[in-house]
Amino acid sequence: MRIVILGAGTVGTSIAEVLCNNRHSVTVVDSDPVQKQRIDDELDAQAILGSASQSSVLFQANVLDADLCLAVTGNDEVNLIAASMAKAMGARRTMARVYAPVFRDLSTFDYQGHFHIDRLISLEHEAANLLARNLRDPGSVVVEHFARGELAVQEILLPEGSPAIGNSVKELELPTNVRIGALHRTKNISSEGQMWLAGADDRFEVGDRVTLIGQREDIDEVTEKVFRPALTPKLSVVIAGGGETGYHLARILENEQFDVRLMEQSRERCDFLSHNLDHATVVNADATRRSKLEEERVGHFDVFVACTGDDENNIVAGVEAREIGTQKIMAVISRRDYAGIKEQLGIDVTVSELDGVSQQVMDFLNTGPIISRSMLPGGRIGVFEIEVLEDAAATEHVIANLELPPDCLIAVVIHEDHIKVPGRDDRLQPGDTVIALIDDSAVEVTLNMFAVKED
Amino acid sequence: MKFADFVCAESIQAQIAAETKEEVILELVGALVDSGSVKSDERESIVKAIMKREELGSTGIGRGIAVPHTKHPSVDRLVATVGVSASGVEFNSLDDAKVQIFFLLVSPPDRPGDHLRALENVARQLRDSTFCRFLKQSTTPEDIWQLLDEADSGQFGS
Repeated sequence: MRIVILGAGTVGTSIAEVLCNNRHSVTVVDSDPVQKQRIDDELDAQAILGSASQSSVLFQANVLDADLCLAVTGNDEVNLIAASMAKAMGARRTMARVYAPVFRDLSTFDYQGHFHIDRLISLEHEAANLLARNLRDPGSVVVEHFARGELAVQEILLPEGSPAIGNSVKELELPTNVRIGALHRTKNISSEGQMWLAGADDRFEVGDRVTLIGQREDIDEVTEKVFRPALTPKLSVVIAGGGETGYHLARILENEQFDVRLMEQSRERCDFLSHNLDHATVVNADATRRSKLEEERVGHFDVFVACTGDDENNIVAGVEAREIGTQKIMAVISRRDYAGIKEQLGIDVTVSELDGVSQQVMDFLNTGPIISRSMLPGGRIGVFEIEVLEDAAATEHVIANLELPPDCLIAVVIHEDHIKVPGRDDRLQPGDTVIALIDDSAVEVTLNMFAVKED
Repeated sequence: MKFADFVCAESIQAQIAAETKEEVILELVGALVDSGSVKSDERESIVKAIMKREELGSTGIGRGIAVPHTKHPSVDRLVATVGVSASGVEFNSLDDAKVQIFFLLVSPPDRPGDHLRALENVARQLRDSTFCRFLKQSTTPEDIWQLLDEADSGQFGS
């Protein structure tokens, strides 16, 4: 496919590299001659010198014919304008990277809608989500880019003692805002197990992996009430660095089974953090100093997460925390070559925000009505985000009367930004977005229902 | 767009008791619930959404005025209420002044045009210092409703 990347910084270059390796045709635009030259030298991509917000430059880069245009310069405003222009000029899909949280908030102004951009991505949120994913039940996966991050697909593992064991889906009487998607059952560790879309009479067993779809807070609530054993010990976590990543991570974790302590150097930022976090403890201290880590008894915590915004500081803080006894060390490391030495350093998990973004971009490279697709772990079932187009067969009848294959679940419909679990009598409308779980065997038939008829 | 088009008369609070930002928002959303403008089981979710918006930057725009707002799928039309506090509430306003006049708006996500027109109307009317002074002096919901009505008919310079 043809992809135009605006901005050849760390993010742009890293994504360009991944896309080139996957044999896509890539054009990179940057206003710095040095960066342009570097792309020319290092990558099998076309490099163009110029400003991403100028139509002449976008024209040269041929966004008119691009399958995807990715605006990832270091400037939020340029990214918004450039992605918006690219869409208007003919790029099929556009994504823009934004740093400031306000651009992703709808309450005063809808930037994404106004600029007709398909996705606004935040590297910092991406990193926080990756870290959270690693801290939750091992193997649990979360897709949370739908409906501007409001909607999540989450997989949970049913442990011994979970109140859901032995009950059927029907008997659990889940609230209507959370849906059960797939069930993944492994008989023993070596077998691959079975995976299918859960029906009302399926009964839960210990070790089942259950996919839940809904707004994250609702999923958390249901997990807490229905799936988690009553006496789950809390995991204690120290987060070093209260920037966007640390703050977002603390917000995700404080609502779950975690005791969170957040260390931040700047007093002013600490005021903001303690004001905006409900349960996490905010400490005004420099987490790269060993004396401070000892003072805060970091060695007694289960997990230490370094996300200060600087690779070297994260490594230093991580090594020190390990030395004073913290059990598990996680760090945000952007430089790929650093990740290779993590074992020597005693860091258990390294996360790069770039990996998250690259994955999102790859999920986005689709044709026709598919906006994004990603696979659930286990492999058989995909999570599809599908655009409902004018004249698609799926709009002709109410959902109950559509000839959808049984191995397909229309989990959620996003109508005018409103997330809705569709009933049998609801009818899809052009402009809606559908989140569907589809088994490999049913993909073709299902997608045909959403394709525009050619006659 | 006029105040009468979106302010719910039965929900107006002329004597706010709350003393903190969160309490004010709770009180005003509570008034919308009591008047039937929003569903009671959505109260918590709406308060949370409004507080989340406040994190990005206070809606206290100075001169003792704040316009907390959010979009929320539980309402099918724009609803708003007005609150007046005699002593004022700390609201992290631009000018650090305590806030006495509150316009709280909740609008459906699919009507972005109405939402912006209502915010614009509130901002424009509140530019008039006489209107603001009268609002601050109001002690009953009827007084406030009458002032809004007068503003709608263009009696305050704008």
